[in-house]
Amino acid sequence: METRLYRRIGLVIALGWLFFTLFPLYWVLVTAFKPPLAVSQGATFVPFIDFQPTLQAFADAFAGLRGDFLPPIIASTLVTLTATALSVFFGAMAAYALVRFTFRIKLLAGIAFGVVAIGGFLVLDKVLHVPVPYALGLVLVGGLAVAIVLNRLPLPGPVLVNDDVTFWFVSQRMFPPIVSAFALFLVYAEMRKVGVQMLDSMPGLVLAYTAFGLPFAVWLMRDFFQNVPVEVEEAAMVDNVGRLRIFFQIVVPMATPGIVATSMIVLAFIWNEFLLALLLTSARWQTLPILLAGQSSSRGDEWWAISVAALISILPMIVVAIFLGRMMRSGLLAGSIK
Amino acid sequence: MSVGTAPDRVKYLFIWPAFLVVLTVSLFPLIYALIVSFQAVRLVPPVPPRFVGLDNYAQVLGSGRFWGAMWTTTIIVFVSVALQYVIGFTLALVLHHNVPGAALYRVSFLLPMFLAPVGVALIARMIFHPVLGPVNALITGLGFPTVTFLTDPALAISVLILVEVWQWTPFVVLLMLAGLQGLPAEVFEAARVDNIPVLRRFRDITFPMLLPLSTAVVFIRLIEGYKVVDTAFVLTGGGPGTATETLTLYAYYEGFRKFNIGMTSALSFVFLVVVTIAGTLYLVAAQRLARRYR
Repeated sequence: METRLYRRIGLVIALGWLFFTLFPLYWVLVTAFKPPLAVSQGATFVPFIDFQPTLQAFADAFAGLRGDFLPPIIASTLVTLTATALSVFFGAMAAYALVRFTFRIKLLAGIAFGVVAIGGFLVLDKVLHVPVPYALGLVLVGGLAVAIVLNRLPLPGPVLVNDDVTFWFVSQRMFPPIVSAFALFLVYAEMRKVGVQMLDSMPGLVLAYTAFGLPFAVWLMRDFFQNVPVEVEEAAMVDNVGRLRIFFQIVVPMATPGIVATSMIVLAFIWNEFLLALLLTSARWQTLPILLAGQSSSRGDEWWAISVAALISILPMIVVAIFLGRMMRSGLLAGSIK
Repeated sequence: MSVGTAPDRVKYLFIWPAFLVVLTVSLFPLIYALIVSFQAVRLVPPVPPRFVGLDNYAQVLGSGRFWGAMWTTTIIVFVSVALQYVIGFTLALVLHHNVPGAALYRVSFLLPMFLAPVGVALIARMIFHPVLGPVNALITGLGFPTVTFLTDPALAISVLILVEVWQWTPFVVLLMLAGLQGLPAEVFEAARVDNIPVLRRFRDITFPMLLPLSTAVVFIRLIEGYKVVDTAFVLTGGGPGTATETLTLYAYYEGFRKFNIGMTSALSFVFLVVVTIAGTLYLVAAQRLARRYR
């Protein structure tokens, strides 16, 4: 009796939320097929009854008549696919290392890196007037060398282990992105002064997005690798199979569902990312979110065209969501929250 | 286990590429930005950088616009995360108890969080349009006067909150549902045998058991929420006036409209400190709450 009442309330809540979720999507879908009059004379809702649907907006978009859609689509696709592949590849390798090996990093070595980097940069930049990109490169290499040597020495102080390294990766995501995005913009701008084109270029964007996707990839892949049984690897090690071969020929195939799920999530994040693209591109490599953001000011109330642009960005993600929804039902993602 | 402790140099080959990329791209430029934040740098007009000490920071902390943006962001984040958590947890419970048609809801409930916030904001702009939007069509259809959602400060913030809730409640649903499915069935079986009413079962069993997960979910949403920029950028551009200007949007305007590089760097570091303090305070509070339930 009581259960039935709660069931009914539950059903009402679920249906209400379903409507709330789907109405905006329905709206953008039908608006893309509206002729201009069906927009400018007030809200219209149902195709064939309220208005006669037309494909004109799609035709215009791809004929390049009303702003060029094709370059951002190509840029978004190239950058997203490359950066996703790189971050999942590097992220999976790092996650595997964090699951199967032990790392010990002395906190003092880390602090020494920071001191050497900041101090060295100040000296090179202010005293010796070395151009910023070279100075940064030099102190990066120098700081790392000092840190590696110090880590070998028997230093006192806390020792960071695997969990801390994982946290270090994940903590990159806790930063407000404007902090590192703006810093990266400054460095890229300095690089342009010495003739390296990173602003508004594919390598610049791919590098930025690889770093953007890596924390997710490391975090998610770590959980998937933890569920891969270690016995098979031990057997292979007895047979003297190299670590790299074990990883690529045994572990990766066993963790394929996890790799696919991780790729999907990273792909979605990079595809939708706005701030980095806004800061790091200006013309040629502008991505879809930047094109979208420009729509509302450049087009005013040309909603049919705006809807087409929004749909282009949404459709691949609907595929991703359906795919992940299936994986979720099979309980695959449940393990990744523990 | 023997594999885990094997002193194997190959481990560095595995971890260095990822480590280097994150270090070089995400962390290392901060050194340069930190130094820039103590200088007066302007790109337009170009003047040679000059060391000004803490001037930039003083300017940020003394600026009313900064505190306005801080307040706006905080309101948006706290209200929207509270709504996301309550609605998301409720929906997860509903889905967990297999309402009819659960399979249908799953994908549609998941969908919004995978869409570009910029696209979502564009759709919201259409829906809340004063003359041509469906919401106002409904309002005027019922005989009320037109509501200009995006030009009234309080309403514009409400629309932003609504968009955030629409987009990110699915995240809460996803994780809370996974948490519910991971709870031991025996406890609930015992509670049912003892005939404990549904609401008490939730208050005394489900909620306390999911408290650690809830804490984590809300923490992630708070941190992510403070980053909000794309929605405000498209939906209102920070307006009317600066009523919906979030911290990131303010930093962007300082850096890319005024080209005040030193101050923007200082601003982003202040922002970092604020988020760190807020995050720590939250975690302390969450620990207290968890202790009360133990």
